[in-house]
Amino acid sequence: MSSFRLTLERRQQVSTLRSTTTYILGLLLGLGFGLLVLLSAGAPAATLLDDLVIQVFFSAMGLAQTLTLAVPLILVGLAATSAMRLRFWNVGIEGQLWLGAIGATLVALSDFGSESLRLPTMLLASAIAGAAWIAVPLILKLRAGVNELVVTLLLSNVAYLLLQHLLFGAWKDPVNSFPVSPRFDENEQLASLGFGNLHSGIYVALGITLLMTILVQKSRTGFYVDVIGRNRTTALATGIPVTATITLMILLSGALAGLAGGLIVIGVEHRLTQTIGINTTFSGIVIAFIARFNPLAVLPTAIVLAGIYNAGGTLKVFYGIPDAIVVLIQGMVLLTLLMVQFFSSYRVSLLRQSAQQPGQPST
Amino acid sequence: MSQGSPLLTLSAIDKSFDIHRVLNSVSFELARGEVHALLGENGAGKSTLMNILIGVYSADAGKLELEGKPLKIGKPSDSARQGIGMVHQHFRLVDRLTLTENLLLAADDHPQLKSRAAAREALLNTAKEIGFTLNPDCQVGELSVAEKQRAEICKVLALGARILILDEPTAVLTDSEASSMLAAIRRMAESGRSIILITHKLREVVGFSHRVTIMRRGETVAAGLDTSDLSIEKISSLMMGSSSTSLSPDGIDSKKAPSNVQEHGPDLLAISHLNARRDDGAPALTDVSLRVRAGEILGLAGVGGNGQHELTELLSGIRSASSGSVMIDGADALGLSPRQRRKLGLRVIPADRMASALVSDLSIAANLSLTSVVSGRFGRLWLNRRRMQREAQASIEQHEIAGARPSGRMGLLSGGNAQKVLLAREIDSGMKLLLAHSPTRGLDIRASALVHQRLREAAAKGAACLLVSEDVEEIMALSDRICVISAGKIMGELPGDASAADIGRLILGHE
Repeated sequence: MSSFRLTLERRQQVSTLRSTTTYILGLLLGLGFGLLVLLSAGAPAATLLDDLVIQVFFSAMGLAQTLTLAVPLILVGLAATSAMRLRFWNVGIEGQLWLGAIGATLVALSDFGSESLRLPTMLLASAIAGAAWIAVPLILKLRAGVNELVVTLLLSNVAYLLLQHLLFGAWKDPVNSFPVSPRFDENEQLASLGFGNLHSGIYVALGITLLMTILVQKSRTGFYVDVIGRNRTTALATGIPVTATITLMILLSGALAGLAGGLIVIGVEHRLTQTIGINTTFSGIVIAFIARFNPLAVLPTAIVLAGIYNAGGTLKVFYGIPDAIVVLIQGMVLLTLLMVQFFSSYRVSLLRQSAQQPGQPST
Repeated sequence: MSQGSPLLTLSAIDKSFDIHRVLNSVSFELARGEVHALLGENGAGKSTLMNILIGVYSADAGKLELEGKPLKIGKPSDSARQGIGMVHQHFRLVDRLTLTENLLLAADDHPQLKSRAAAREALLNTAKEIGFTLNPDCQVGELSVAEKQRAEICKVLALGARILILDEPTAVLTDSEASSMLAAIRRMAESGRSIILITHKLREVVGFSHRVTIMRRGETVAAGLDTSDLSIEKISSLMMGSSSTSLSPDGIDSKKAPSNVQEHGPDLLAISHLNARRDDGAPALTDVSLRVRAGEILGLAGVGGNGQHELTELLSGIRSASSGSVMIDGADALGLSPRQRRKLGLRVIPADRMASALVSDLSIAANLSLTSVVSGRFGRLWLNRRRMQREAQASIEQHEIAGARPSGRMGLLSGGNAQKVLLAREIDSGMKLLLAHSPTRGLDIRASALVHQRLREAAAKGAACLLVSEDVEEIMALSDRICVISAGKIMGELPGDASAADIGRLILGHE
């Protein structure tokens, strides 16, 4: 009598070829599943390529919209990257983004500071507000060991309630029936680039991506982050300034998320609304994962994801496919990527064995 | 007790993990109705041998016989079916279930226990037979540690074990609980069961076992000796190994160097009246005072878990003391960060190098340059990565770290080569005080000899070395002076040429 046994063996070393192949495979698999979901939700197969690829990347208006959507996605992707490299789970990107939007709006509505410096002040305010919002879970984590997952997540809800409190109260635009703030003045809006809605915020996003890449790959702090993220005890024992590095990178994460919120209200909406931050935590984490926590790879990843969001808008208008489908596709891509990672680090084999002598040493 | 044919015989058992041979032709024999103590230091191979017996591992070579018939064990349930049961240090009980339910859960192969009433009955009968009181309807989570242990033993016996392996059964018990447990062990033997008792406490061995088998470094050094013929001193010298000389292959001398006791010169490390607590709040170090001068090696001997871990963490700066003082090169170091202590010249080889000195997921170059990056030698703001790679390459060549490339992943190196990386990094020009905790743990003879050579060179160059080790041979081979730690207290100081028996006496608390 013989039986089969599945065994699992951890690979000693995963070659670059294997990890690249499985990565691409996972990406394609996830997108493939996403397509199936789209088709089953009623998207017409005939025009899918056109809707998903041509219209969002290869038509001028489509590309402009995709890039506009990409600006905040790049920043939340970097925000997630900054925290995840330290194994700090910032699942409150959305809350920090709300605070960033609120910070920028506060400066605009109160006409704070000189007019010529108004825009930089608004951007700075959004970054500071985002950083301040993550300072709470950061301090709780460093001082009392409180799990950041819970605190960042819950503070997102608090941020959303604060936003609604403002939009339904003090900041409600008197001439608008929707809960939105008054429109910003002309000098409180980022310059349009004359390419759809695309605004100069794209330069901010590109510049920050570059700076983050340099920080992570070239600086001493980047080296510290690598060590702390992988082995905190070693980092402490070898004298790496663990607390200072964590503080810096986590505040940076909050600041980038805040800046994303600031750029949306300053560049696109020109007022505070209550929809801009929805799902951004999830997108940020998905982008960071797909980009493997490499800031430079966040750029293309965010642009592709922005394209999917853009296409989602089209599908919604023309075929009545809900927004949630886009989130579902993101989730599928993330899941398949994580699953194929398992197959690149483990070897699965089917062994045929004789059941008669299970204990015989194999000599 | 060895009348008649033995119940269980393990003969010429070999077992290797990768290239490390952990059991080398080990033999063991168990008679019916005896308590057989299995002794050996940490890493001697006791657990591996027992895991082979209960089917967790399979032997590479050798024979297992039960009542003269070949015993085939491929998985743990095979051994259970043959009546072999083990009570681990960490009990296999589900806290949320009652004792009866725990037995039901484990009774897959026992159709007669498949009803709740039968399982309950079996537990009560077993408990009565060996003189335990227990409530089978109590949730396991509500039991004390001692009660859980009794519950686990009853469970294993109710499942039909006639050979019972007890792994350090008294380690978790108070003194009075321990004596009643030992009495129960004798009763189990009298009722015809055979007990294999793994323990570190030699008093228990002498008081409660019939025979003793001693393992050292994967070999049986004494098999089935009658306990009545043995003294604690005799057992401890067999366990520790009496000779201090071991010459490794390739001519690297591991023998004792001439003593370097330094009569003069400043203390580079002066610890006085140091007290510290463990993570769970229990005292870890009590009034510890030590001093090490430049150029000498102070060996701190003792069985693991007696405060060594806390002491090394405290000296490295990642654990705080409750009182006392630590001076490194004349400067009060207790309030200093690990980084400031490194600036004073402290270098550390911790016991668990991969957990607290190296980063297995980073490159070898990154690991070699870790502390230099911290000190700013590769740049304050931006790192000169090319120089890091270059210096790493030079270091790999100089220290002959086999199989290493600067960009290779640290975690792929063998233990010996990983230790070479750590030594190459820590033994640098700024070193004044070297703290080494079990620096040869898990290394083969050749790698161990190399580590010993490096430590001696470090001392010869004028560093003060504190060698904390559970390996008495290592302590004897390297130390100029020897201190012994037990239960967090310094038990006394001996000269570097003290015998294993002298050290053993202090370790075991016999002044």
